[in-house]
Amino acid sequence: MADMGDKEVIDIITEALEVEEGTVTAETTAEDLEKWDSLGHLSILVALDKGFDGKVAAIAEMVTANSVLKILNLLRDRGLI
Amino acid sequence: MKVAITALEYYLPQSVEDNAALAVDNPDWPMAAIEKKTGIKSRHVAAAEETAADMAVSAAEKLFAGGVDKETVDFVILVTQSPDYALPTSACLVQDRLGLKKNCMAFDVNLGCSGFVYGLGLGGSMIESGLASGGLVVCSETYTKYIDPHDRTCRPVFGDGAAAVVLAASSRDALGPFEMGSDGSGGGSLMVADSGARRGEAPASQPVLFMDGAKVLMFTMDKVPQCMEAVLQKSEKTLDDIDYFIFHQASRLVVDNIVRRMDLPEEKVFRNYENIGNTVSAALPVALKDAVAAKKISDGDLVMLVGFGVGYSWGACLVEWGGGP
Repeated sequence: MADMGDKEVIDIITEALEVEEGTVTAETTAEDLEKWDSLGHLSILVALDKGFDGKVAAIAEMVTANSVLKILNLLRDRGLI
Repeated sequence: MKVAITALEYYLPQSVEDNAALAVDNPDWPMAAIEKKTGIKSRHVAAAEETAADMAVSAAEKLFAGGVDKETVDFVILVTQSPDYALPTSACLVQDRLGLKKNCMAFDVNLGCSGFVYGLGLGGSMIESGLASGGLVVCSETYTKYIDPHDRTCRPVFGDGAAAVVLAASSRDALGPFEMGSDGSGGGSLMVADSGARRGEAPASQPVLFMDGAKVLMFTMDKVPQCMEAVLQKSEKTLDDIDYFIFHQASRLVVDNIVRRMDLPEEKVFRNYENIGNTVSAALPVALKDAVAAKKISDGDLVMLVGFGVGYSWGACLVEWGGGP
């Protein structure tokens, strides 16, 4: 796992949702993006777990984290970024 | 355990429902995106009058047609969460319909995707303890009867099916070790509410399946690798010692992530969900049978079976395949 910060997490979410670079920002919420539906959220969970070497699957709150800010805060709380 | 699986058969209902049919009922579904995630293109669906007991009988009858002696069946363990009735026990009805002897033990096990591993553990223990010499573990599910046709999470995933295996005493340690566990705090993540005694004020006329896909996915990514590691530790083996892996055929997404988490070579992992879907407890034995038929597993191979899901409940075990009792 390389050094991870907000930008890397946003990149992971961007790639998971298959949207153009710059579409996802720290302020983005699920409501803002059509592709961030239930299927898109599954993609985000998997991509984050992959990006953080399997450390995300144990963060139960990630299931309902429907904004980039919430995701960043959960990762920050656990010292992952 | 000095117990072996000596025969295995399955039955799938005749009616096949493909994704095009789902799209007709639900034109707003992003079918291509759903199929990409699930990897499932079609599934078998039990007829309106066809039940889990019917399918269990159909699967078991194939065993007897193949030469299994009914007199050797000391127990029938029927794993199902879609029994014909709240009571009597569907396994008893199956015992009678199969014409099995009356000193045959018959009981249901109410478990889903982990149920086959639990059934093997229970049946194997009964043989090893001397309670029985041999018997059947039958997994049969008609989850589709619980599914709302417009439920985008459940309908694309689940199919119906039944599988039956014969367990018999063996001179070889052909079954185990086992690792099994439960976490009922996840019970609400995969549930048919209003289907038992705990009913709400306005119980649904038709019990309906609910699945929180994200929660279940997180559970599998977190728990399944731990369960597999525990089996390896108990058996003093490494992943390299295992010839083949059969996972509960939950969906492509779930199997992909277990493969990733465990860093498994794809050629040692079987998948057959594409045209069968997730048949709950039947998925593992159906996949095992297909893997043997596809010559992915040969006599003497060490196979890891891993089931996980509703409950939450999980189980994994090793099976030394083939070679007779």
